[in-house]
Order: sequence, then C-alpha cells, then structure tokens
Amino acid sequence: MTHPRSKRLLEYLFTVAVIVTLNFALPRVMPGGPFLYLSADQDQEVAQFSAAQQDYYRRQYGLDRPLVQQYAAYITALVRGDLGYSIYYNQGVTAVLVDRLPWTLLLVTAAVVLSTLAGCLLGSISTAFRGRALDRWLYPALIAVSEIPAFLLGLLLLFTLAAGWQLFPLSGAMTHFAVYASPWDRLADIARHAALPVLTLAIVRTGGLYLLARNSTATVLTRDYLRTARAKGLHPLRILTRHTLRNAMLPIVTRVFLSLGGLVGGAILVENVFAYPGLGHLMREAVLVHDYPMIQGIFLLVTLSVLTANYLADRVYGRLDPRIRETPAEAR
Amino acid sequence: MTALSIAYGSRRWRFRLTGTLSTGGQIGLIFLMTLLLLAAAAPLVCPHSPQKTSGPALAPPGAEHWMGTDDLGVDVWAQVCFGARVSLVVGMGTALLAGLGGALAGILAGYRGGWVDGVLMRLIDILLVLPDLPVMIVLAAFFGPSVWTIIGVLSAFAWVFTARIVRARVLSLKQRRFIQAAETYGAGTFYLIRRHFLPEIFPLVTVSMIRLAGRAIVAEAGLSFLGLGDPTSRSWGFILHHALSFPGIYYTAFWKWWLLFPWLALTLVVLALALIGKDLEKVADPRMRSH
Repeated sequence: MTHPRSKRLLEYLFTVAVIVTLNFALPRVMPGGPFLYLSADQDQEVAQFSAAQQDYYRRQYGLDRPLVQQYAAYITALVRGDLGYSIYYNQGVTAVLVDRLPWTLLLVTAAVVLSTLAGCLLGSISTAFRGRALDRWLYPALIAVSEIPAFLLGLLLLFTLAAGWQLFPLSGAMTHFAVYASPWDRLADIARHAALPVLTLAIVRTGGLYLLARNSTATVLTRDYLRTARAKGLHPLRILTRHTLRNAMLPIVTRVFLSLGGLVGGAILVENVFAYPGLGHLMREAVLVHDYPMIQGIFLLVTLSVLTANYLADRVYGRLDPRIRETPAEAR
Repeated sequence: MTALSIAYGSRRWRFRLTGTLSTGGQIGLIFLMTLLLLAAAAPLVCPHSPQKTSGPALAPPGAEHWMGTDDLGVDVWAQVCFGARVSLVVGMGTALLAGLGGALAGILAGYRGGWVDGVLMRLIDILLVLPDLPVMIVLAAFFGPSVWTIIGVLSAFAWVFTARIVRARVLSLKQRRFIQAAETYGAGTFYLIRRHFLPEIFPLVTVSMIRLAGRAIVAEAGLSFLGLGDPTSRSWGFILHHALSFPGIYYTAFWKWWLLFPWLALTLVVLALALIGKDLEKVADPRMRSH
C-alpha cells in the first residue's frame, strides 16, 4: 500500500463496501416488518397477514436464513445487476432505473456543461475587468445567486416563467400523447421541457464556479511564467490556451467533479419541483408508497455514481497536473 | 449593533462583531435577530392559530390576515412565524452539534496525530463524497422523519467541514513557539486545548457554524418540501409542499401569498446567513473558502 493511487482506490472500495452494507442492513434494523400488513393505505381498512402467511413469506424471501447467508445472497444478486423487485411498479428495480436514469443524466450533464462554461466565461471577464464597474456588479450578484438553494430558485422560475408567462411547460419531460411530425420536433419538445430544470441547476452552480475561475485566473496572471510567455512574444491566444487556461483549469475540474454529490441532491429536489421523471422524482414516489427495494436501488445507484465520479476526478487531476501525481493524498 | 460582541474568555483573543460587519452583514444580522424574536414570541405576534381555520379559505392578504390564508383558511402569517421555529431549531441544533463535534474531532486529529488522525481523516474523506440528501431521504423513509432525526443526520454529515478546517489550524498551531513553550513547561493535553487551542480556533468554528446553520435550514426545507420532513412540525418547507399539492396552484393567483411568503422567508434567511458568514470569514481567516 505504498503507492498512493492504489491506496486511494482501496479507500473508495472501502466506502463502496460501507454503502452496500448499509443498504443491506437498513431494512433489517428498521422498526416493523415487511409482512405485517397486507395493506395499510390511507382511507383503506388495515388488512393483516396471518402468522402462517407471515412465516411463508419470510421463507419465500429467504429472511429466515442466517444473516451471513442473506448477505452473501444479496451481494451475489447485486453483482449480477439484480436490485430486487419493485413492489409498487411491479417490475424489476433495475428495469425501472434504466428507464428513468437517462432523464436525470440529461439534466445533470447539461447543467454541468452550461454552468462550467458560464462560470469560466464570467470569471475570465471579471478578471479582465478587475476592479472596474462590471466586476464590481458581477461579483456580488453571482455570489448572492449561488447562495439561493436550487429548489427555491426552481420554484421562482416555475411560477414566473412557466405558470405566469407560460413560456415553458409546467411539468414532465415530454408532452403527453404527442404525435411528432419528425424526430426534430421530438427533440425540441424534450429541450423545451428540460430547459427550466437545467437552467435552475446551472444558475445555482454558476456562482461557485465563477468565483473559482475568477480567483484562479487572477492567480495565474500574476505568475512569472506568464510574464516570461509574454516576454517571449507568444501570441496572446496561445498564452491564453496553453498558459492561463491550462493552469487555471485545475481547481475548476476538481470542483466540477467534487460538487457532483451536491448536484445530485439539487437534482433530486429540482426534478420534484418540475415533476421531471428522473431518479429524484422516482425516489420521492418510492418513499411515499414505501417501495423499499426501489428506494434502496436508487440510493445505491446515486451514491455509487457519485463515488465513481470522485474517483475519476482524482485520476483526471493527476493527468492534468503532473506535479501532484507522486504526492500522497494527505499532502493535498 | 455596537453592544454586540462575542467574546471567549481569554485575554489574548477577542472576536468582535462590532465594526467587522459590512452593511450587508448588519442587515443580515438585524433580519436574523428579528426572525428569532418573531419565532420566540410567535403566540404573541400572531392573532390566529397556525393550525386551526381562522377565516375564509384562500383569502388574499388583508387587514385580518396579513399574509392571507391557505386552502383550509389557516392564517399564513401564523404558519410562517411558527415555521421559523422549526427552521431555527434545525439550523442552530445542527450548527451546535456539528460545530462542537467537528471542533473536537479536528483538535483530536490535529493534536494527537497518529492512528486517531488516520481514522478520522479517512472517515472525513468518505463523508465528504457521499451525497447527503439521498442518505437523509433513505433514513427518513426507513425510520420515519422527525426533527431530531434530521438534526442527527445533518450533523453526522456536516461535522467534517468544521473538523477539516480546525485540524489544519491545529496542525499549524502545534508548530508555534508558545505552544511548544507551554509543552516544555509540562502543560497537559486538556490544559493546552482549553487555554490555547480553543481560543485560537473559536473564530473558525463560529464562521463554520454559521455556514452549517444555513446548510441545515436548506436541507430541512428540501426534505419537508418533498413531503418527507417531520409531519408534526409545519416548517416552511412543509408549507411549500402543502401549497404545491393544491391542484389549482399553477392556474390561480393563490401562490402570490401562499407560496411567496414562506419562499421569501427561506430565501432571506439563507441570504442573511451567507452575508454574515462572508463578513466573519474575512475576519477569521481570509484563506478559508472551503465550503
């Protein structure tokens, strides 16, 4: 374990193990049992299983076996991609997840790309106009916007742009029962529906990236190697791309990946503001109808994706900046 | 604001809010203080009950109902005032628990070093990358939501921010001459922590706690907004949730008071905390911009 990279990987694997175990343990330590009630919905009479039926189901689902065996069975199923069977959707959990995942991915990717571009652009502009009126207005405005939580901003956009001026659809990812003349119409419809959720997530993230880009380009501009580059008579564009941006990018790239966890939380809420049929919306539905296999499936998928993204961030960072490749994680 | 100062019992070190807050920070502080008073005196300042019908349903703001009423004819002003209690309790509770816990963990990791430091840092690394909202949703789903569960889970995630900052400061303090001098004179761990580390770390922890309070209030609001918060506490997020479940909310003007006022309350609290936090950050440590 002397090599920092393998040590890092081991850390991530340990985290994954913790999450998987947590996921296995949660339903087993929660109060109550899965077979206590046949139905306990609101407005309905509570029907209960008999003791014999409860025993039958317990055996059916393997809950009467020792914990170690249950755990082993759980891991084997997990490795095969089997996340269990959704009680509410009456489908395999994996199938439902595969169905909903693209929508969330669309939102998150679009928001990351948009906010990173906007943040870098505004940050560079701010550095260029440092101390002048534009910078002095841009800075507090973006800081204030970045402090507003995503779902509150989403509500604001929803009620002004969508409900008030009816510029955008209120909810969903596509118009119901729509027949499209061409694939382009279909794409346009999807874009119109995704516009507000993406805009919300992007605006909220832009502030932080702007601040980072502004600081980072400002620091790079004061460095000696930049003065050398200018003195050598290099083309300003080459200085910008090879010297300024390449160095200013490092903290931005890390930030983009490291903030994915927060972005996922924001996306869960924003999807619910706009009733967008992604994983966040699904998660809320599943919680409200007590579809536990579903909740666990989403939780596992979300946390593992965030972990993978973070691990990739570590690797990418090493690629971009050769200086830290050899230093252990603690030194950072 | 001149009389207000937070001072830790140490002669060497004094942390004053007087003169350190900008106009924005002062506005934020005044807003928070007003809100604190409103929340504490909610039964006195609200003529109507936050739970019982007290007028016609969906009445616009007027002399009788300052912020109008919701679909059951419950006064929105009363709901906002009483809702402030939930937000403030969650914010302050999490800030205290996570701030103090994080400070202790940070001191321990930084000062003791060795395996304690190793274990704590690995734990911090893990918690930093885990998204907290899904975990809260899952725990709320499995154990039933209550204000205390929410505070507990939020603190379990939030202490890492304080701990990291404090650890870094303790590590640099350990090298300082006066600490080493105290050690040579035979100062014990607890004496050092009490007399030297705590006073130095106090401003950092204060700033960190203000940040944590903001995060906690937002997280609770988000959870309640999803309908997964404590059902017995009508927090601001719960009012938003309730208003959005009203079928005609998008097509009527009701949102202009029913949704707007809790929305404003939440946004203003978050902004106020951010303004104060930014000002104090500059005083405590100009380099501290980690979260």
